[in-house]
Amino acid sequence: MAVAAVHSGGIADHIHPEPQGFIRKYVFSIDHKIIGIQYMITAGIFMLLAGALAEMIRAQLMRANGGFMTPDTFNTVFTMHGSTMVWLVIIPLLTGGFGNLVMPVQIGARDVAFPWLNMIAFWIFPVSGLMLYSSFLMGAPAAGWTEYPPMSLQGAPGTSMWCAAIFLVGVGSTMTGMNFLVTILKMRAPGMTFTRMPLFVWGQFVTAPLLMIATTALGAALAALFVQREFGVPFFDPTKGGSPLLWQHMFWFYSHPAVYIMILPAFGMISEIFPTFGRKPIFGYKMIAFSSCAIAILGFMVWAHHMFTSGMAPQLQLPFMVLTMLIAIPTGVKIFSWMATLWGGVLTFSTAMLYSVGFLALFTLGGITGVFLAAVPFDLHAHGTYFIVAHFHYVIAGGSLMGALAGLYFWFPKMTGRMLNETWGKWSFWLYFIGMNGTFLPMHWLGLWGMPRRIAVYDPQFQTWNQIESVFSLVMTAGIILTFVNVLVSMKRGKKSGHNPWDARTLEWQIPSPMPYYNFKHIPSVFATPYDFAEPLPYRGLEEELTDSPPPVPAAH
Amino acid sequence: MRLDRGFWTATAVLTVLALIVIFWWVYAPITAIMPEAVDKAAQIDALYRFLAASGSALFVYVVGYIVYFCVAFRRRSSHAADAIGVQIHDSHKLEFWWTLFPFLFVVGLAIISVRIFYGIEPINMPSNSLVVEGLGHQWYYTFRYPGINGEVKQLHLPLNQQVTLHVSSYDVIHSFWVPDMRLKVDMVPGLVNTLTFTPTRTGRYNIVCTEFCGTLHGDMRSGTPNDKAYLFIDTPAQYKSWYDSQQKANANASNEIAVASSSSINLTGGDVAAGKAMFQTKCSACHAVAPFEQKIVGPGLKGVLHDPSHPNLVDGEKATPEDVAKILQNGFSGPLGVMPNQTANGISDKDIANLVAYLNSLK
Amino acid sequence: MAVASVTQAGIVGRHHEEPDQLYVETRELRVQGFLLFMVSDLVLFSSFIFAYLYLRNTGQGWPPPGAPKLDLALAAINSVILFGSGATMHFALENWKHEKFMKFAGWMVSTIVLGAMFLSGQIVEYGKLAVGWGSSGIFGAGFFTLTGMHGFHVFCGIIYLTILLLQAAQGKYTFQKYTGLTLGTLYWHFVDVIWVVLFSIFYLI
Ligand code: HEA
Ligand code: HEA
Ligand code: HEC
Ligand code: CUA
Ligand SMILES: [Cu+2]
Repeated sequence: MAVAAVHSGGIADHIHPEPQGFIRKYVFSIDHKIIGIQYMITAGIFMLLAGALAEMIRAQLMRANGGFMTPDTFNTVFTMHGSTMVWLVIIPLLTGGFGNLVMPVQIGARDVAFPWLNMIAFWIFPVSGLMLYSSFLMGAPAAGWTEYPPMSLQGAPGTSMWCAAIFLVGVGSTMTGMNFLVTILKMRAPGMTFTRMPLFVWGQFVTAPLLMIATTALGAALAALFVQREFGVPFFDPTKGGSPLLWQHMFWFYSHPAVYIMILPAFGMISEIFPTFGRKPIFGYKMIAFSSCAIAILGFMVWAHHMFTSGMAPQLQLPFMVLTMLIAIPTGVKIFSWMATLWGGVLTFSTAMLYSVGFLALFTLGGITGVFLAAVPFDLHAHGTYFIVAHFHYVIAGGSLMGALAGLYFWFPKMTGRMLNETWGKWSFWLYFIGMNGTFLPMHWLGLWGMPRRIAVYDPQFQTWNQIESVFSLVMTAGIILTFVNVLVSMKRGKKSGHNPWDARTLEWQIPSPMPYYNFKHIPSVFATPYDFAEPLPYRGLEEELTDSPPPVPAAH
Repeated sequence: MRLDRGFWTATAVLTVLALIVIFWWVYAPITAIMPEAVDKAAQIDALYRFLAASGSALFVYVVGYIVYFCVAFRRRSSHAADAIGVQIHDSHKLEFWWTLFPFLFVVGLAIISVRIFYGIEPINMPSNSLVVEGLGHQWYYTFRYPGINGEVKQLHLPLNQQVTLHVSSYDVIHSFWVPDMRLKVDMVPGLVNTLTFTPTRTGRYNIVCTEFCGTLHGDMRSGTPNDKAYLFIDTPAQYKSWYDSQQKANANASNEIAVASSSSINLTGGDVAAGKAMFQTKCSACHAVAPFEQKIVGPGLKGVLHDPSHPNLVDGEKATPEDVAKILQNGFSGPLGVMPNQTANGISDKDIANLVAYLNSLK
Repeated sequence: MAVASVTQAGIVGRHHEEPDQLYVETRELRVQGFLLFMVSDLVLFSSFIFAYLYLRNTGQGWPPPGAPKLDLALAAINSVILFGSGATMHFALENWKHEKFMKFAGWMVSTIVLGAMFLSGQIVEYGKLAVGWGSSGIFGAGFFTLTGMHGFHVFCGIIYLTILLLQAAQGKYTFQKYTGLTLGTLYWHFVDVIWVVLFSIFYLI
């Protein structure tokens, strides 16, 4: 059935010449693997910044009447923490970073569809990050990462810079989304049908349209806020006929799908990790792939659940409530399928596996509190409190970030050819896991008990729990720092990993580590899903990849 | 593929744990920590108990099985290096059930939530309630009462009297939250949002702003030094005496809320059609185009300027376009209730001219 | 035959060349990528259209007080010009497919000229409205933002088509390989379709 790597002379065989010189190789590279690593490094640096800001939040909240910084500084701090973590850490890491590094190889391609676009999209990202941080020079934005007007209309000049910077990151994301979509639709190796794609590719495939569509909608909202601030065009100003609620609609129409941008690739990662370390096929392949699509589609229809207290018409709230609750069903299908994948496996608890299991537990908790919030009457009490902060840190810090860390421990050998230190890795996991729960679990009851979010000072009865949180946040930070150190040390000193240290079955593990610039000497053909551990590998045409045979000749331009 | 003894033991243990958390949430002494100050709080607490009980039971099962699987199926030293797990790919029966159960749960939850929702949302405005207006400022609250001039700093409400609270804001978005009421609503400039409830427990309660509103957002709550607002639920007698004292104290206060530009408005060139359209979006929630007596929140406005039986407006002055404009600009709080001012209503000077022209055209 | 028309156009280099596999596949990628670009552009317009309709239907009645009267006649003429340019663009591509370079060039030039006429019409209309973007209230927030964005797309389109025409004249495209021209046509039709929507929401409803 499957044709053995036919020499088509088409795009699949089009090979860029090996990049020469430092600049073309590591700076303005058009090689998807290098670009992926560039994304990861940049996002890692921003993660340190945003994490430092988080620790500043926790320092301020050590005492009921604050005192670590002024309320105005505090407001810029949590605004920048939220904005950075969402737009400059998690989204670039999961899409641009891991997506670029792994996805094209997993589908058996030599690069993404538009390598130049890929490079441009990447370079927009650090530039806009610098722009965002340069807003500190002119008065940083201080109205929260959601920047609700009219508050954001009063904000310092840096708020306009915030608009411009986030707009630019968005342009980069949109490009990445288009690029990935075309890549996955058009550049799969022969025999790689949709039902044979690795689930990480499915994750990226479903995320790409979200990146494209939702991010463009955000771009419109940001442009409108920008011209309102700079030219007085009254989109959002109630005294001139505009509507503050319009912004909320426009913003959440992006930002709800954005939360799935932050989680679907992570779902994909752990769908790769569980089978690999359980020596067992993923349970319910089709349902996992299909439920991702359901989540993405439903994700566009629920944005107003962030606005239940804002004065939207009551009759409108009900459909949003019910649709939001429905998302629990496809997500539940995934959770249960992963649990069933664990059942009956031979589980090896490497660091990547630990992070994935942690993901499963913590994301479930965050997801369940999400369903609580979807119930309008409960949200009337919980909205705008620390309960919300607890919900989303469980799904983001417990879900997305843990997924990313699992992915890092899993694919690091593929990036560098060296192993991360597993002992340190396990320490980092336990520190992170314990610190994470200690930091964010008490926020649930603090919120219900009466503590609003985004406050620099609070009532004294909340102080003990806040101190506990702050201490645990240091534990969590220690875990992250340990991972950073581990990466820096192992890059140079790590044990050599060989091409497939985990004995994994997707295509990227069948070629040398680090991956050569041409990925495959011959494009393989595929004849089954990669998850049948009892069967031989479902690929043909890979015989020469690990041999010394000469690399393919670049196409003449 | 058979489930072994260990699985059923784990299931039994988890079931016990789940029952414990369910019982805990059903009987948890929530009101000992946070009293229920109004009628609707009990409904929300009931929903919360249901959510918390089912949510934590679900969590116990999910995490319990994860932990059990991780222990039971860990790689042991007895495993060969190339040992593999059970090679199953899926089970349609299992998948069917674990799609159906969450679905049924969600349907049930939706039904419960919708029913409570209709018990809470002010969809039908009650007719005989006390109408009070709450206004957000950076960074404090004020309230306006029918019959009390000006704005007062504290919210007093009589026990067992139905209340309709209209809220809005002068500057940015704030929010009105009384944790002990379990109710919250945003105060959005240009928009009047409404809460209805009946206080059921006397006492003093905190009011908290939960919508980020700038530098001192964290200070916008009861309990901060500079005489911040509390909600007091009084016995009717206490309420009466408080009300009378405020009425006296504020006797000379202006009902017209100070706004930045109190300059009189140029009424020439008002456009009747534009005024009509504006009236339908901004005013008709509270005013009918009907005789004075037909009250929604405010009086009916048909013929305000041409009604011989109602020569003076509620502010006691003669019904002239200028005086109507003044009420629209500054708001008014009289015996009938509270009429928001220009900023709270979100209308421009030009709109006022149009509205007055429209009202003038109603004969 | 192809060779004949090339010499007729006096242009060297547009020799007959059968599209190879690489070209065919690359064309698919480019067309698909371009379609996705237009999807996201469409989302951008839709967001602002949503914003406009939202402002129109909440808050005050419509038109808001002080909104300038729009000149339907002028806009209608202008629309006809723009739709006409859509037709000329279509003819241009058809002629290219039939390997008639001179006719292609003629239709391209007319498209560009019509586009420029549309833009001038727009500028005349802005002039007649005589209000600024910031001071024209929510009417202007919708009208100037959306028509301005559309005008910018037309402007970019004019430059884009000019570049395509020059490239075609230099022999960058052959009569078999002309993906760039197809994309240009797609873009121009897209800008046309957007205008249909804008025209209806501003002038008709
Ligand atoms: C990765 C990010 C992420 C993810 C995945 C989610 C997932 C979900 N979120 Fe969350 N959310 C955020 C990030 C995220 N959220 C952020 C950042 C905010 C705050 C923004 C701000 O204001 O600053 C927020 C706020 C937020 C609100 C608004 C609260 C408010 O401000 O008043 C709501 C309300 O409905 C909500 C709901 C949900 C729901 C229902 C899900 C669902 O997708 C969850 C589904 C998962 C499960 C349910 C668990 C697994 C399922 C099972 C085990 C099956 C059985 C379960 C049941 C039948 C219940 N979220
Ligand atoms: C997107 C992902 C994301 C992630 C991963 C995190 C991670 C963390 N967040 Fe995050 N947070 C948000 C997104 C995220 N947050 C958002 C969107 C908001 C809302 C903002 C708003 O209201 O507008 C928010 C708000 C928020 C608040 C509430 C602020 C308020 O409402 O007043 C708090 C309070 O504790 C908090 C704490 C933390 C902590 C302790 C972590 C920890 O996980 C961080 C762990 C630490 C690191 C990842 C870095 C480790 C390294 C160092 C600290 C060393 C630094 C030193 C050097 C430079 C060398 N966050
Ligand atoms: C939140 C409810 C509310 C809204 C919205 C509202 N009003 Fe009123 N209005 C009132 C109340 C209550 C009174 C009576 C005040 C009193 O006498 O105590 C009133 C009084 C008036 C009066 C004086 C009537 C008289 O006969 O003396 C006029 C005129 C008026 N409103 C016009 C308007 C217009 C025009 C709008 C829209 C821009 C509007 N109102 C919006 C509640 C409202
Ligand atoms: Cu007012 Cu926050
Ligand atoms: Cu959401």
